[in-house]
Amino acid sequence: MKEKKKKPYVTAIIMGIISIVSYILIFNNQETVTDLTTKSGYFVALPIVAAFYFSFIHGAFASSMLSVLGIEAKKKK
Amino acid sequence: MKKLAVILLAIVLTISFSSSVFAGGAPRGVFKKGIITEFNEQAGTILFSPNDAEEEITLTLDKSVKQDEITLGKRVIVSLDTKDHSLVLNVTRMFIDLNIKNMLFILFVGFVGGLVSGFIGSGGAFVLTPGMMSLGVPAAVAVASNMCHKFPKAMVGAYKRLKYGQVDLKLGLIMGVSAIAGVQIGIKVQEYIFNAWGDAGSNLYVSIAFVAILVTVGGYVFRDAMKIAKTGGEEKPSKLALAIQKINIPPMIQLKTANVRISVWFTVPVGFATGLMAATIAVGGFVGVPGMMYVIGASSLVASASELVVAFTMGFAGSIKWAMAGLIDIRLTLLILAASLFGVQLGALGTTYVKEHLIKVVMGSIMLIVAVSRGLAIPKYLADLGLISLQPSTANMLMKASFAVMAAALLIGAFIILKNMIRGMRMEKQGEVKIAAHHIK
Repeated sequence: MKEKKKKPYVTAIIMGIISIVSYILIFNNQETVTDLTTKSGYFVALPIVAAFYFSFIHGAFASSMLSVLGIEAKKKK
Repeated sequence: MKKLAVILLAIVLTISFSSSVFAGGAPRGVFKKGIITEFNEQAGTILFSPNDAEEEITLTLDKSVKQDEITLGKRVIVSLDTKDHSLVLNVTRMFIDLNIKNMLFILFVGFVGGLVSGFIGSGGAFVLTPGMMSLGVPAAVAVASNMCHKFPKAMVGAYKRLKYGQVDLKLGLIMGVSAIAGVQIGIKVQEYIFNAWGDAGSNLYVSIAFVAILVTVGGYVFRDAMKIAKTGGEEKPSKLALAIQKINIPPMIQLKTANVRISVWFTVPVGFATGLMAATIAVGGFVGVPGMMYVIGASSLVASASELVVAFTMGFAGSIKWAMAGLIDIRLTLLILAASLFGVQLGALGTTYVKEHLIKVVMGSIMLIVAVSRGLAIPKYLADLGLISLQPSTANMLMKASFAVMAAALLIGAFIILKNMIRGMRMEKQGEVKIAAHHIK
């Protein structure tokens, strides 16, 4: 019988903490965040960088969280 | 392949920096961002400090502007008359106050939209943008914030489906770059219509395009899905795609995952049409995915997965432009992402548990229901243009019904996906238990 894959608890916890802390920081400083991300010049990159950052961090958290919950893609036979 | 990817991405960046790639529709009309510093109630004027200029200007308020819309010291967007740039037609707070209720609403729509787009390659934007507008977000900010969530979501979804072996990267990138070109033309058409017939004319054009395309394409996709379901669930390439694949006009490209050899001269127009639709009806995937299935000959699994690459390319280029216009409310973008990154991965893995034609069932159903929704909005736009007469209360009711039907389209799509996914997972588990029992014996 095939060995059962280990669930990514550690990744889920680490990525979850980083993601939640990032969200708290953003939403506790809404005025500054909206001000900086709508400025011109180099600041234009900020919303794009933020979107990329969250897609990696929060995306990894969501992926490992789904695995921890046992929701995974069908294995190819 | 890597070389091709780098070249295509370079093209995307060049085009997006050098021209307007406002996928999802360019901001319509004349508007200014800034802060109202003074309000003269008697004269009906405001002192306005624009973001892009040092000096304050005096603007006159139109009679339709309500006093409670004027907030001093907060960032606002003022819509100006197209002919008289000192006449204010509308004032909207640029950044809405977020409370638990509207945050939960955005999270919910984000999740459902993510689920649907992970499964069929697109979707969600058509409910998210009007949904945010209903919370008081200015139209341009709603489109911009939605666009900025689209590319990271599509990237995560595409990555997942690439791992499942469903993405044809070459097809997606070629389509994406051609789509950006299509967006340019789409915007030019929109601008022309807006200048000729104003906001109502533009809305009417969008609605008619929506209904015509969704009924024709959506109807075809749905009928095809039903036909496949009746004949045992086996997908076959369309006759049109097979005929096109036989035409040998160089340069020919080999699409490995899609298992198709086709001329670039047929691939580019499909991408172009996708972009044209993205700029018109904000959902390019409703043309892109059927185009990849019926014109290019990719399976629905490969077409919907590759559409996520198209969405990433277009979303990325569009977001750069919207960021340059300073219209992205990053709080809204990140809120949508918080839920949609779960949804998109769930939708992506859902494709591994269902029969391929279910993607067509979901897509066809959503398209047809959305067509009804846009159809309900047409009388109001006709009335705005003075072509028919309509009671304001009836117009209001029709617009509300239109939004409700649109939301229903997304929910029904999500319901079909989840139901079939759970069934597929259960069957898989039962199969594993049987195999385990067999081993014990």
